[in-house]
Amino acid sequence: MPIAICRTKMQFSPSCYVTADSDGSVGGAQIVVTRHSSGEQEPAHPHRFHSEALMATYQEFIQQNEDRDGVRFSWNLWPSSRLEATRLVVPVSCLFTPLKERPDLPPVQYEPVLCSRANCKAVLNPLCQVDFRAKIWACNFCFQRNPFPPSYAGISDVNQPAELMPQFSTIEYIVQHGPQTPLIFLYVVDTCLEEEDLQALRESLQMSLSLLPPDALVGLITFGRMVQVHELSCEGIAKSYVFRGTKEFNAKQIQEMLGLMKPTQQGPQGRQPVNQETAVACRFLQPVHKVDMNLTDLLGELQRDPWPVPQGKRPLRSTGIALSIAVGLLEGTFPNTGARVMVFTGGPPTQGPGMVVGEELKTPIRSWHDIQKDNARHLKKATKFYEALANRAAVNGHCIDIYACALDQTGLLEMKCCSNLTGGHIVMGDSFNTSLFKQTFQRVFSKDYNGEFRMAFGGTMEVKMSRELKVSGAIGPCVSLNTKGPCVSENEMGIGGTTQWKICGLSPTTTLALYFEVVNQHNAPIPQGGRGAIQFVTHYQHSNTQRRIRVTTVARNWADAQSQIQHIESSFDQEAAAVLMARMGVFRAESEEGPDVLRWLDRQLIRLCQKFGQFNKDEPSSFRLSESLSLYPQFMFHLRRSPFLQVFNNSPDESSYYRHHFVRQDLTQSLIMIQPILYSYSFYGPPEPVLLDSSSILPDRILLMDTFFQLVIYHGETIAQWRKAGYQDMPEYENFKQLLQAPLDDAQELLQARHPMPRYVDTEHGGSQARFLLSKVNPSQTHNNLYSWGQETGAPILTDDVSLQVFMDHLKKLAVSSAA
Amino acid sequence: MEDLYVKPGNQERGWNDPPQFSYGLQTAQGGPKRNLLNKRVPPPQLQGSQSPVPGGAPPPKVLSTPPLNPLAPPPCAVVTPPLPCPAPTQHADSPSAQSECEPNVDDIIGVLGWALTACRESVKKQVCDDVERRLKIFEEVWRAGKLSLPVKKRMSSLAEEMKSRNWERADEIHRALIVDYVNEVSQWMVGVKRLIAETRNLSADKLDQIQSPVHSSEACPE
Repeated sequence: MPIAICRTKMQFSPSCYVTADSDGSVGGAQIVVTRHSSGEQEPAHPHRFHSEALMATYQEFIQQNEDRDGVRFSWNLWPSSRLEATRLVVPVSCLFTPLKERPDLPPVQYEPVLCSRANCKAVLNPLCQVDFRAKIWACNFCFQRNPFPPSYAGISDVNQPAELMPQFSTIEYIVQHGPQTPLIFLYVVDTCLEEEDLQALRESLQMSLSLLPPDALVGLITFGRMVQVHELSCEGIAKSYVFRGTKEFNAKQIQEMLGLMKPTQQGPQGRQPVNQETAVACRFLQPVHKVDMNLTDLLGELQRDPWPVPQGKRPLRSTGIALSIAVGLLEGTFPNTGARVMVFTGGPPTQGPGMVVGEELKTPIRSWHDIQKDNARHLKKATKFYEALANRAAVNGHCIDIYACALDQTGLLEMKCCSNLTGGHIVMGDSFNTSLFKQTFQRVFSKDYNGEFRMAFGGTMEVKMSRELKVSGAIGPCVSLNTKGPCVSENEMGIGGTTQWKICGLSPTTTLALYFEVVNQHNAPIPQGGRGAIQFVTHYQHSNTQRRIRVTTVARNWADAQSQIQHIESSFDQEAAAVLMARMGVFRAESEEGPDVLRWLDRQLIRLCQKFGQFNKDEPSSFRLSESLSLYPQFMFHLRRSPFLQVFNNSPDESSYYRHHFVRQDLTQSLIMIQPILYSYSFYGPPEPVLLDSSSILPDRILLMDTFFQLVIYHGETIAQWRKAGYQDMPEYENFKQLLQAPLDDAQELLQARHPMPRYVDTEHGGSQARFLLSKVNPSQTHNNLYSWGQETGAPILTDDVSLQVFMDHLKKLAVSSAA
Repeated sequence: MEDLYVKPGNQERGWNDPPQFSYGLQTAQGGPKRNLLNKRVPPPQLQGSQSPVPGGAPPPKVLSTPPLNPLAPPPCAVVTPPLPCPAPTQHADSPSAQSECEPNVDDIIGVLGWALTACRESVKKQVCDDVERRLKIFEEVWRAGKLSLPVKKRMSSLAEEMKSRNWERADEIHRALIVDYVNEVSQWMVGVKRLIAETRNLSADKLDQIQSPVHSSEACPE
């Protein structure tokens, strides 16, 4: 295997076993903390190890682990008993990106070796002990001793298979057997659109035929008042099957009506039954390279829904039935095959099952206010309908995308489960004729460094762990596979009660949050010196149609939370912890009242500060947090204000959209959503990150703010005046021109990399769009305290919102209070 | 680089619509990012005081201009530019800033026709006829002056690549064209797409049997 991965820059403890040390160097650093005390090469003994150095060590360790294994743990040392784990407030948990892009990791062309114990079946990995002479390996999860398969006869100390090498803590296998089926894309297109929008959508769909893999199967369903399933033949006349949009059929009926049943059952309209099922399916799902020309014409000729829409009414839109037919069609023809249903809609479903709002325009679509007053007539029924569809799609491994482009709400609140349970995309835009939609759609088909599509299908992710751990649940775009076992915790967090989840649609950034529980009771803690291990086994269909298995095995040291609390504290990954706690908050917000979620989040924060803050009782001014927790309260402050937990000023659809993205993106992107990034550009030096605070809004600065959903460029007052005066066009002020250009260039880089495309705001001091910036910064100066500050320190914000300073003061007071 | 450009979004239809990147820019897997904007500043440590939070170091007094009466920004002589000049490739605002030379439609039709003739032997008649119909449309819109210069130029390079049997590159040009100019090319481009796909399946012998298209495109002065 011609792969060499740079393992580590730091070797703290050469005496420790690196062979068994899959987590690389800082496993070494942890080993320093707990074991191998005999070595003379131990410069890094705990009490001599400066805490900042330890912190820096952990930061590097955390980064290496994320780069190599796509995993970020809240704690990188694990408490040795359940009680101690509870006292740490933030659970032992991780963010895991199953298909993280690894250009340096070519897949191996053989299949994994599994532990022979029936209820274990863990994959051979670098943490296993191997007896090369006897050709036996011991499972590091269940300690079963397994003989190597015959093909491993030649292994020895110097001739090891890749999966035993520490640098292959993440490894990908190509499964050789099994049929390879092409990818399937089924377009479900709303025709109740304005002509301009429909034209733009036609063009985008025609364009996409050039971006799809040539042998992918493609199908087309259109809907308005009626639903049409189009036959895609390479020759002859185009036919379509028309369904009423008001009556739901079950999968079998749909298949019967489309003539998809076996020859014994006669199709409708005297249609000739066809011999092979696949051949029948082919009428509706054809390889792109065969039907591209006809489909281009068909799309080009798509007309707006012909039924007249009377004054004061909404068009009748049968989204529910269209989606149900799409799911039924794929269910009958290609179960357990990677498929993507792509729904393009320009308004809410208005008739039949799944309708979200009635036909009358005078009845507006439900708002948060209506929902809170229990005044949303269709909400429960529609949600139930789409949930049932989503679950059917998930069972078959099909994912559902929703591209909703309209100025008003389109029913994402009710339909979101279709994408959230299947790993599909949701894109929300104002019109199909915008660059936001067009480019976001194009990027669904973007390719990686190997020229392969950045999408994978039909994933199942299984987690195996040392017997000292149990898994409480997962939060992400997945459904439970209900795989029970001894390592399933009764204490559910997120989607629990299982060790396996299904993720029908995956991208290289799809990230799950996984929560664990320590098993051992306080009086029988896990002995020190050992390590706990977790293995993630992800089966999936690669976009090149291969079946693959990615295996990631990680380990962390156990630590006694009483004697080693400082080390545990240093091992805290505050960024991961913030995102992990936020996902729990967002998960709760789906079923609980907003204020309850905020109170829960506050309580957790106060407890964490009580546990790790340094203070004298009842003396708020004495409160200190160590560096490893220094950003955490700020993250929580911004999270409380974020649209993920606050619904004020957002429609139910918008809240659904924001949450959809929050619970699937990787750590970096999620953190941007929690606390936007703010950079400042000036003549005084290179661009620098500044506090997300009103004090950073200065007249002679340009600010670039990234909230994930929006990019905002804000020109300070003076800069704006200079720009208005046209200095950038004078040769002697070339530097000013460059200053103006710098944030534009940086914004462009962000825009090019992001999916979905963010909105883009170029504004200045006093501009109405400046509100996007003003609503995000910490209001450290407001109209209430303006005079106590003096002037020119920033921009006062007209708000009664609590500032970070006030928030922190309260937090300190509560944390140090002896009453608490 | 005519295929690397950014045009503004559709502000009429989309509220704060982002700019639109050309296919070339979107697929360019650039090297390491110039600026990774992912840093945060920790809040001024949690001291009890209520003092306002300065946004970084205060600017050096010597250089700052009076903020409330901005006479002018500091000229180049006083302050060095904050950043090196941005890469020039990304700022051709419109795709129109190109050389004037217009490719010859006959040359392109020649190549496409040659490929179609080669296909006729083995590919279904109906498909060939369909491709031919689309090539006709292409020729018509070209002759009617309905195609923009960048489309014409890229079609010319596409034909060149086909002639040299660089199918992958020809296919990539077709993709760039349909992404960047879908409203101009959507009707007929799929014919070109199919033609590339069918021709690349043919054996080299078969292609050699058909007389290669004549060169006459050297008329264009470089």
